[in-house]
Amino acid sequence: MVVEVVERVLQDKARDPGKIEALIFDTLYEERRRLETERDRKKAAAEGKFYRKMQARALRGGPEEQREVLAEIVRHFAEEVLGHFSEPMYRIATQIVPVGLNLLLNTLSPLRLISHFPKGLGKVDDQILIEGHTEEFQRLSKQGTMILVPTHCSNLDSPLIGYVLYRLGLPPFLYGAGLNLFHNKLIGFFMDHLGAYKVDRRKKAPLYKDVLKVYAGYSMELGYHNLFFPGGTRSRSGKVESRLKLGLLGMGLNAYIHNLRHDKPNPDIFVVPCTLNYQLVLEAETLIEDYLKEEGKARYIIEDDEFAQVKRILEFLQGLFSLESRIHVVFSRPLDVFGNPVDAEGRSLDHRGREIDRRKYVVQDGEYRFDPQRDQEYTLELAKSILESYRRDTVIGSVQTVAHVVWRWLREVNPKMDLYRLLRSGGAQDSLTMTEVYRRLQGTIQALRDLQKRGGLRLDPELEVSDPAEVFGKALAHLKSYHKHPVLERKGDRLFHYDRQLLLYYQNRLSFAEPNL
Amino acid sequence: MTARNVKKKTAATPSGLEALVVGGGSFGTALATLLARNHRKVRLWVRREEQAQEINRRHTNKAYFPELKLPSNLEATTDLASSIAGVPFVLIAVPSKGFREVARQVGDYITGDQVLVHSTKGIEPGTFKRMSEVLREETCALKIGVISGPSLSEELMAGNPAGATVASHYEEVVRKAQALFAGGPFRLYAGSDVIGTEIGGAFKNIIALMSGAAHGLGFGDNTKALIVTRGLYEMTLYGAALGADPVTFTGLAGIGDLMATCSSNLSRNFRTGVRFARGEKLEDILQSPGQVVEGVSATRSVHAQSQLLGLDLPMVRAVHGAFFEGQKVQDLLHRLMERTPGRENGRAKGSF
Repeated sequence: MVVEVVERVLQDKARDPGKIEALIFDTLYEERRRLETERDRKKAAAEGKFYRKMQARALRGGPEEQREVLAEIVRHFAEEVLGHFSEPMYRIATQIVPVGLNLLLNTLSPLRLISHFPKGLGKVDDQILIEGHTEEFQRLSKQGTMILVPTHCSNLDSPLIGYVLYRLGLPPFLYGAGLNLFHNKLIGFFMDHLGAYKVDRRKKAPLYKDVLKVYAGYSMELGYHNLFFPGGTRSRSGKVESRLKLGLLGMGLNAYIHNLRHDKPNPDIFVVPCTLNYQLVLEAETLIEDYLKEEGKARYIIEDDEFAQVKRILEFLQGLFSLESRIHVVFSRPLDVFGNPVDAEGRSLDHRGREIDRRKYVVQDGEYRFDPQRDQEYTLELAKSILESYRRDTVIGSVQTVAHVVWRWLREVNPKMDLYRLLRSGGAQDSLTMTEVYRRLQGTIQALRDLQKRGGLRLDPELEVSDPAEVFGKALAHLKSYHKHPVLERKGDRLFHYDRQLLLYYQNRLSFAEPNL
Repeated sequence: MTARNVKKKTAATPSGLEALVVGGGSFGTALATLLARNHRKVRLWVRREEQAQEINRRHTNKAYFPELKLPSNLEATTDLASSIAGVPFVLIAVPSKGFREVARQVGDYITGDQVLVHSTKGIEPGTFKRMSEVLREETCALKIGVISGPSLSEELMAGNPAGATVASHYEEVVRKAQALFAGGPFRLYAGSDVIGTEIGGAFKNIIALMSGAAHGLGFGDNTKALIVTRGLYEMTLYGAALGADPVTFTGLAGIGDLMATCSSNLSRNFRTGVRFARGEKLEDILQSPGQVVEGVSATRSVHAQSQLLGLDLPMVRAVHGAFFEGQKVQDLLHRLMERTPGRENGRAKGSF
């Protein structure tokens, strides 16, 4: 696999000999910068030596030698990315999933650990609800290659997905996991066995990203199901993704065209959007802090958040499960690589439900062809469909609803106040009456139910049946179960707001539906 | 299916057809004529069998061009299914009112490798959707584009030099459209701002109604220039709010089309404005044969949508007031002139 990946990257990057030298030195520059902050000094020394050697060869060599140097650097990256992936191991893992993974889950999964906690805790299987188009997902996974693209708000997302795939009886999906996930040994072990390969997000060199992309695309051609978070990183604001990274997403189309050109018997690639919905988010405090601090320039890598502390994970899960708070994992309708919906038989359909011959999209002058500009637009179409699915299949619970109601009230009573001042000071009024809370909740819940009827989003069952007082009570209980400092507190007939950052974070989940509320 | 099989199936249509124009109205006939004169193998789909026979046997389309002869190599048909199969370029030129229905029929036969372009300058009544959005909903086509610009059918038929914009997110669409018309009197300039190009085409008709009304009231070129220029400003505000690139409106699909439409008697929208201002009833004007006045329905749509968007478009409001609220055109023009003039390029109220 490494050989093929290197070959493909070179085919693309070494096409113009005049650009090879610049590519090498740009990559060396980025890597040297990264090594300056590498904590593992031994590793940094070894890598530094490698890059110095490459530099010397590139400086003295002619075009042929420089091509060789480029190949070596690409190989270096490819081996690191693929280092933890063994094809035979993967095949074995996919065949013994029921036994092997079960064992793993019973011994190592934090979710399982929680299920062993004494008394009053629900079972994991009952707490994690798998909903949506699961049957199509299962059926299509036998017919073509699947790309699972979930929303992303927590580092718990990957083990959760791993667990859900296991429950659905599906093989592990290849997954490019950030190095920081492996720092947590418990999760790292878990990830390693779920088809995860390591992605070093500190590597900024475009060449490294090309290697990752080519590897993902090639693995799809070979029929490996892939999983990646197209939002790129955890949502810092708490909002449902509204923009996607197109590079990796486009590799599905790339693989599809390759498959057609090579007359593969199962050329199809199917994309399955999926929403992961928690009442509370483990890293909520750090994420919103980061979002506000950086004003949109959020740190790409956070290594010191709640996820790095096993104790916090356990507290989080304990709180979650003791309240029977359900995690909804919703599989949206599968899509083809052009963004059209696909039925259970794998047929692409147009808006009127007519079947589409999807192969025609890549036919030019009678041949299956790549066309970078066209293919980029196709990928944008796919991204648009994924984002629509995200909105439609986002599950809103009591926490998001109550947070929205209180946050909206805060904005209304402080119309001219700057966001940061409002967050810090809380504005002119520190509380509102419970009558007002219930009145507003009533309206919002009704609007949410109407929106659900129109297919605009999904609601947790607690919002479908409960009255405002019950919804309010549940939301407060959830918030208290995990967050150390009170977010909201009821004192007599008034509701006081304290942690407005968390209010903003949780209400943001609903921001896409704001015009309808 | 192998790559070879694909080639067998799609390399060419049975007839070697290069383009299909859907819609035998004045603009559809003019575009098909230009392609035929350009020695392209083109077919014109019309709804009525008699019209198809007239074009094929007598080479005329008297309902729209009573005096003109059509090229003998222009073939008309009522059979959409066989005409659309495998043709690389499909151009829809039907009024916005019936656009969705035609698009749905096209959607029954079109495949993903075909390019689908429209030249309809309107907004779908009720939904406020642009025609490319309707095409996306009613067909499986992704390679969609729009042709818009100053293109009065009679002048095109006369072979006068003209130009328009062809806009698409797909370069292949633009390339194909340009290649088909290349060498003839109708030049297509490439663009990628589909929203702006479509909005320009629809919005200018509203301004043409106003300009025609001013002409009908006996006002001169200064007034028309004022209307056109301030209309362009409103077009830009509205387009930008919907995601268009304001620069698009400085091109053929914006100011270019305004210049042609807002002073020409060949423009149906301009003529409608003139007749309306001179006292004819709108219903009577719209019942005149061959009259599809896109500006009237566009006024309703843009007026309603601008309110939803919170946009202040005084001229659109005035046209709406005149055509749908029974207000006198003279009064509306006076009221516009009484507004406090704001900065010419400002966004403040009183933009007229």
